[in-house]
Amino acid sequence: MKGLTELATPFTSITTTLGQDVAWLKSLRLKALAQFNSQGLPAKKQEDWKYTSLWALSQQEFTHEAKPSAVSLEQCDQLASLSDAYRVVIVDGVFSDVLSSLDGLKEGLTINALSSEQGLEKAQPHIGQQIDITKAGFNALNTLLMNDGVVITVDSGVDIKKSIEVLVINTGETANLATHLRNVIVMADNSKATIIEHYVGLTDEVSLTNVVTEAVLATNAELNHYKLQQESSNAFHIATLAAKQGSKSQWKTNNISLGAKLARNDIHTQLLGEQSHVVMDGLYLSNNEQHVDNHTRIDHTVPNTTSEELYKGVLDDNSHAVFNGKVIVHKDAQKTDANQQNQNLLISRGCEIDTKPEMEIYADDVKCAHGSTVGQINEDHLFFLRARGLDEVSARSLLTYAFAVDVLNRIPSEEIRQAFSTVIEQRLPQGGL
Amino acid sequence: MLEIKNLHASVDGKEILRGINLTVNAGEVHAIMGPNGAGKSTLSNVLAGRDGYEITQGSVTYKGEDLLDLAAEERAQRGVFLAFQYPVEIPGVSNIYLLKAALNAVRKHQGLDDLDAIDFLTLVRSKLELVKMDEAFLHRGVNEGFSGGEKKRNEILQMALLEPSLAILDETDSGLDIDALKTVSEGVNALRSAERSIVMITHYQRLLDYIVPDFVHVLSEGQIVKSGDKELAKELEKTGYSWVKEGA
Repeated sequence: MKGLTELATPFTSITTTLGQDVAWLKSLRLKALAQFNSQGLPAKKQEDWKYTSLWALSQQEFTHEAKPSAVSLEQCDQLASLSDAYRVVIVDGVFSDVLSSLDGLKEGLTINALSSEQGLEKAQPHIGQQIDITKAGFNALNTLLMNDGVVITVDSGVDIKKSIEVLVINTGETANLATHLRNVIVMADNSKATIIEHYVGLTDEVSLTNVVTEAVLATNAELNHYKLQQESSNAFHIATLAAKQGSKSQWKTNNISLGAKLARNDIHTQLLGEQSHVVMDGLYLSNNEQHVDNHTRIDHTVPNTTSEELYKGVLDDNSHAVFNGKVIVHKDAQKTDANQQNQNLLISRGCEIDTKPEMEIYADDVKCAHGSTVGQINEDHLFFLRARGLDEVSARSLLTYAFAVDVLNRIPSEEIRQAFSTVIEQRLPQGGL
Repeated sequence: MLEIKNLHASVDGKEILRGINLTVNAGEVHAIMGPNGAGKSTLSNVLAGRDGYEITQGSVTYKGEDLLDLAAEERAQRGVFLAFQYPVEIPGVSNIYLLKAALNAVRKHQGLDDLDAIDFLTLVRSKLELVKMDEAFLHRGVNEGFSGGEKKRNEILQMALLEPSLAILDETDSGLDIDALKTVSEGVNALRSAERSIVMITHYQRLLDYIVPDFVHVLSEGQIVKSGDKELAKELEKTGYSWVKEGA
């Protein structure tokens, strides 16, 4: 852990970073420092990291100083999933005012850089509230080193019809750049918004993205939140996405993991108000030596809450995927309705999936189902398509696409569904991934 | 069109077809009947090019080409069509996408360009009418949640669109009620032509009341043991297959 601990251990290394004279942030960072110094990064002996080795990451030396890079508006247009959206652009860990398009923000919507005074002020009541820095080393590290990110707030009763895309670009101009972004989304009661977090890498340079996104949904708030990860083939992508949901709130999230050498997502929601609902979906396509690990957790803490979770994976070559989905139905959470499924399609002989759907149920009047499947291309389907004239490679590609694209069907926005389908289609040129 | 000579085929070392001889000329409709286990489905699978069958002897020539040398998709592209006994459900692949991909695969082989969206839709609509299917079926997953009759009509829809030279109908009547059987048969009859040959594989004579064959063959224990015209099917209906076995 040489590279990272050296930077993390001496507190002096972050005295020059964001909010050095902000007392609350300083005290938060001190806590994180103590935490990180005592625990360091997770090891494989920890149950949550059993199948994911950080050895390759620990062999790197990361820098936090990004060299200047030249990303153009045209490039952003090409990279973005949505053309008609509010767009936040973050380049090599820094919020870019120039590249972002935030003109004419709807009244009741604010979008600020965490590094700005307003951003920090709006983030303060919520930052660190959704995550537990004592549990995951990367969260402590993020808290210690966070320098920028985006803070989005939606006022009471406001429906932001236009989507918001947060485009995070890793240019690769700086070798071994580590960025620690912290995003905060605050949805007041009866508000509604759609947000995409979109990560792209432009070169094959080694990099580390360590991002934490915290979301708060007040009563009856509705947040559609999607993540599309297309980092470069040598990137390490470590992400935490954590939410707290008030009564009647709805959170729909879809986590699409395509890129990076190693990708780890920890996604967690706490259903704290009655009739709150979460859809926690995900899709991972892995090839070559990729490693993708999704850990999800849903806490049903009060009566009458519902959750649906569908994670699908397509694995090729020697890639390795991990799914660990935890649904916890607490003692008082009667009438919980929870459904969790993980389905995997294995394309090659060399790939490996470790899947662990878990339910812990402490209430007695609940409806819960979970399951996991691992399979291959159905030979009958393949023969049928070939008997209709499709060559074998196209037929395999089509069946793989059909398996994967199913996860996108629960995305309400046609435009986003279409954008993501296209990305997946492009990932399946001729049968392989 | 199709010439099968002394065809022997095995599955997992067990010989199922034991010397089939059959000649089908352009425009002819042949019915192959036989009891369960006679090798009917094996014959249709071998002709369509399914993996898992070992051809130990004999030859199959289609339009002068060695059919057995071609991959399943190459046979389809050259105009061989198998209507499945059990059409598969493929959620996630829309019917219209399948139809378009299949038609374009055939057209590509013929050196033709892909049809544009409007021409394609016009063509598909005319074929839908033939099998009395609603346009809504186009946008559902292939056979997803279709009834037995709808699945078989969907097979005939594909056949109508692809206009094969040789259609092999594998137990197309199985699982159909009388109305669905009529619709499917009308669809097939509309596709009869002097250039198109049809091989119907069936257990029951019932189908032959609706699609009247030129020739009827009885398959038993992997061989064609008797051939005749449509009267042979009626005889079979009366006496059953045990008579064939004894006669053989």
